[in-house]
Amino acid sequence: MHELSMTAQIVDSVLEEAKKQDAKRVTEVHLVIGKLTFLGIEQVRFAYNILVNDTIMKGSKLFIEEKDGVIECPSCGYKGAIQCEDDPAYHVPIPTLRCPKCGKAAKILEGKECTIKRIKMLK
Amino acid sequence: MANNKEVMKGEEVTLEIEPGTDIIEVNKQLAQKNLKLMRKHNVKAIDIMGSIGAGKTSLIEKLVQSLKHKYRIAVFKGDLTTTIDADRIGRHGVKVVTINTGLECHLDANVVARAVERISLQDIDLLIIENVGNLICPAEFPLGTEKRVVVVSVTEGPYMVVKHPFTFMTADVTVINKKDLAKIMKVDTEQLKKQAKEIKPNMKVAVTNALTGEGIEELIEALEL
Repeated sequence: MHELSMTAQIVDSVLEEAKKQDAKRVTEVHLVIGKLTFLGIEQVRFAYNILVNDTIMKGSKLFIEEKDGVIECPSCGYKGAIQCEDDPAYHVPIPTLRCPKCGKAAKILEGKECTIKRIKMLK
Repeated sequence: MANNKEVMKGEEVTLEIEPGTDIIEVNKQLAQKNLKLMRKHNVKAIDIMGSIGAGKTSLIEKLVQSLKHKYRIAVFKGDLTTTIDADRIGRHGVKVVTINTGLECHLDANVVARAVERISLQDIDLLIIENVGNLICPAEFPLGTEKRVVVVSVTEGPYMVVKHPFTFMTADVTVINKKDLAKIMKVDTEQLKKQAKEIKPNMKVAVTNALTGEGIEELIEALEL
């Protein structure tokens, strides 16, 4: 839902980096977006293509790598992929922070990022 | 920017940099700053999220009524437009700051920091922040509060919790509101409670009727107030 404002921040950051490097044109932007964020990849792409118009990023390629959710349990130290609870009563498998080893509440370690990993530009 | 890589190709120089800027992290750092500032002034802040019409404002009214003799309270009220809700809460004699987001679907740590400048933290002990009515976006933006509450009501149907697991993961307390309408709506509040705990085993849950105040004590206890 907030893809437009998030993408606008991404574009601003890239332009700032490009300015620092005195770049003529930005050709590639590589993002990492966690699967536990609320960002729709298609909507990010849509917003990106609109926002880069009239900037030195126009025509640049956007690469998005999605990152799976990883949890860590502060009680027993378990670290691994986020689990799903597949109870037919829920109609859909729901992701859970329940630690698969000890049953206590785990914390999200990865999957909440939206990182500008790499920018390629022409000087 | 440790990995700058420059490649010459004829006249053109291609530069690759790895800034590693995390757009979400920027808000998180601001939230940490808010939290630090509030702790310095012994202010406990609470973020109340929930969809439109779940009863967030009514709950806050009841919370303010129950707690205003124990704490000095201020309320931040996030809303796209108007001060209708702020006026409702202001009637109870507490300081209310409206944060009109205009178009934005959530509050973020930056707008909260600016709103904090409009009150004096030394004059309050408790800050209740009502987020924009939306069950999705606010979850992505921590504000720097001690506790986060997510409010759902039975009139929204039986699937509000399972459909928004990531929102519930970010909350400490779930409120299931409008319990008086559960039977009419054929919604089992016990089932909603179970689902919230399934998503987050240490979730605290309060089942309320914000109009009568039923369950408010349960909520106050869950908030450790």
